Amino acid sequence: MTMAAVVAAPARGGFATALALIGFLALWETAARGLSGAYVLAAPSEVVVYIANNAGLLGRALAVTLGHAAVGFLLGNLAALGLAAVAVVWPRSQGVVTGLALLVFCLPLVATGPILRVFFGPGPWPQILLAALAVYYTTLIPLLVGLRAVPASWFDLVRSYGRGRWSALVHVRAVAALPYLFAGLQIAAPAAFLGAMVGEFTGAERGMGVLTIRAMRALDVPMTWALASVATAVAIAAYLALGWVARRVLRDDPPVILAAPPLAGARRPFAAVGDIAIVTGIALVLWWGALEWAGLSRFFAKRPADVFEALVLAPDAAATRATLFAALAETAVFLVPGYLAGLVAGAGLAILLVLVPGLAGLVMPLAIALRSVPIVTTAPLVVLLLGRGAVGTVVLVAVMVFFPTFVACLHGLGRAPGQVMDVMRSYAAGPVARLVRVGIPAMAPAFFAAARMNVPAAILAVTVVEWLATGKGIGSLMALSASLSDYNMLWSAVVIVSALSALGYGAVGLVEARVLRTYAPEQLA
Amino acid sequence: MARDDRPPPGIVCTGLGKTFPDGTAALCPIDLTFQAGHTTALVGPSGCGKSTLLRLISGLETPSIGRVEIGGAPPADTLARAGLAVAFQDPSLLPWRTVRGNIELALGLARHPVVDRDVDQLIRLVGLDGFADVRPAALSGGMRQRAAIARALATGPGLLLLDEPFGAVDELTRQQLAQDLPRIWEARGTTTVLVTHSVSEAVMLSDRIIVLSARPAEVIEDIAVDLPRPRDPDLGRSAEFDALTDRVFAALSRGMVTREPPLAAQ
Ligand SMILES: Nc1ncnc2c1ncn2[C@@H]1O[C@H](COP(=O)(O)OP(=O)(O)OP(=O)(O)O)[C@@H](O)[C@H]1O
Ligand SMILES: [Mg+2]
Repeated sequence: MTMAAVVAAPARGGFATALALIGFLALWETAARGLSGAYVLAAPSEVVVYIANNAGLLGRALAVTLGHAAVGFLLGNLAALGLAAVAVVWPRSQGVVTGLALLVFCLPLVATGPILRVFFGPGPWPQILLAALAVYYTTLIPLLVGLRAVPASWFDLVRSYGRGRWSALVHVRAVAALPYLFAGLQIAAPAAFLGAMVGEFTGAERGMGVLTIRAMRALDVPMTWALASVATAVAIAAYLALGWVARRVLRDDPPVILAAPPLAGARRPFAAVGDIAIVTGIALVLWWGALEWAGLSRFFAKRPADVFEALVLAPDAAATRATLFAALAETAVFLVPGYLAGLVAGAGLAILLVLVPGLAGLVMPLAIALRSVPIVTTAPLVVLLLGRGAVGTVVLVAVMVFFPTFVACLHGLGRAPGQVMDVMRSYAAGPVARLVRVGIPAMAPAFFAAARMNVPAAILAVTVVEWLATGKGIGSLMALSASLSDYNMLWSAVVIVSALSALGYGAVGLVEARVLRTYAPEQLA
Repeated sequence: MARDDRPPPGIVCTGLGKTFPDGTAALCPIDLTFQAGHTTALVGPSGCGKSTLLRLISGLETPSIGRVEIGGAPPADTLARAGLAVAFQDPSLLPWRTVRGNIELALGLARHPVVDRDVDQLIRLVGLDGFADVRPAALSGGMRQRAAIARALATGPGLLLLDEPFGAVDELTRQQLAQDLPRIWEARGTTTVLVTHSVSEAVMLSDRIIVLSARPAEVIEDIAVDLPRPRDPDLGRSAEFDALTDRVFAALSRGMVTREPPLAAQ
């Protein structure tokens, strides 16, 4: 079986998926019955009973959350389309556009949620905006890749009839990018749902997020599991629905991978440094300008100068910094092992699947579906199962990182060019040799793209768990500051976490550039 | 079919050279003239800079040195009024458009009206009747090249640049096209530059053959082809034809000797 065939497996994996699903439910039911005294695990049967008994309540909450998620999905994707068009029509802006986008993507939802709540009050806008924030980046990046994934000769064709960039965008790039757009939207749909739920955690009046908080507080095990199951089902349904639409429109499967272009890439280092400076400058001006324009009170809408004051100039600045960094250190203890474990497990399982191809048909469809689950909405379950200690947090971060990495790696392995594989086989190279010589180099770009994109995702996961459950680390500090109206601390935390998150992204990008230079130079062109 | 009503342009290349940013000297300064309304074939070893020369003439690439004039003006003028068409070495068909759709796109880009009857006629001319509504993925390599030729002809350009347009086309279809295409060029008085690796094709189709040496390209020989038109396939068995092909082959083998130092010496 070739590697390409392994990845093609989900196409005919309907039966395998059904089998895996039944097996999974049976295991779940058995485990729940075995643990029935422990109040951690509700069996599928209990979940179904709960849903049936509370269909009205759940239905209303779901409708509210879905509505907000849909509006946010629309707004976020429109923003992504606009930014992508700017970056393509005016190529010099691309570094700045993607940099700003990344910075906004790195904002910790756990803190932006409460801040938006203070701005907008109990209405729907925090949920909608968080949903929009959760999706625009996952759409923008594949869109940019797609808009550029066009053979140069197609542009020559357009130019040979005397037409320019605009015609190329309309007639060539836009259509060529459609599959990538759909790939992005497919990931974005569940992400919007996640964003809306996190927004509701911050004190909305109605919705799935509100119910989740209530279930956790009341230690209502069947309710917690029912909510998580519904959220998961909705996410998978949204993912599949967009896949269906994509197949209708494209008459083809959308590409699976989200290979974000490296931030600094192969460009001159000075250009990258310049871009970073410009991005930081624009971000500060936008931040300051937006708050001034909206005329928001300095008490809760801190300006850049206020944060600088709180972190550097104020008499208690040293204490503020110490609190922040202590919390960050606490978080790092969960974050780093979880992130690395997720990466290793994702890449490892992908490699294993290629060496033992029989497994692929079984695991691949399940993994693709589970990748779409907003893992964070299952945070309450992980806490129920593994307790409020370190293990639960680490596992959750690892799971959050695992699925995108696994799917990306498997896809990368599948892209090992068939002809090269044939050449290898003609020299009687065994499966391990083929993997090392061809498979892993082909996998490297996908792996690193996933590793990069997962830095902010892992931070989101760890902060949400800290906020909802463990009461440790930076997530908890942000939640605490929000409830104590300590806005200096809250805004400082936002700045520091976003900066560290972007820095982590950049650091992975640097490693990536080094590795790709030897393994896949064409990716850096 | 849409027509460019201007007289066909002649092309003058003066001291024309191209060095790519990575330092590759794809074309060393060269002087060449292409006569208006004639078909000129360019033959030469692979990598000698033929495609680069075509791109320079079309204005898709800017020269590092020297200049190109089409009808006395820079190529940009011809480009701007869609007065030329290129059949690229790789067919460059948009995969989401059918054969007809690709031809219509070219007409649209050149701001020509789409006349269904003309498009159908072109598709028939290149032997793709029945495939008008098929996407490129479902065509063979040679069929794709023929679709690209049809697209290049669609706008009725005064200047036609063909980069190995028949590379993947089978021998019989090639002969057929070699019969049909010159008729169109002659009727319209198109100035045509044809890059080809097939010596017999060059002789069969052109009024003049320019043989280039290995990179950096120099003109080895400039051969006038004074065979009568229309030329039918039987011409290929005539003595004049043989004499011409022999001359081209001889020039090619002289040009094969690379003037760059051999690898071992580097
Ligand atoms: N964009 C580019 N950047 C760098 N070098 C290039 C570029 N395009 C072409 N070259 C180099 O210029 C030389 C001439 O290329 P060109 O494509 O013109 O050759 P050609 O005569 O058309 O060859 P063939 O018959 O194989 O099509 C080659 O050595 C090629 O490697
Ligand atoms: Mg060429």
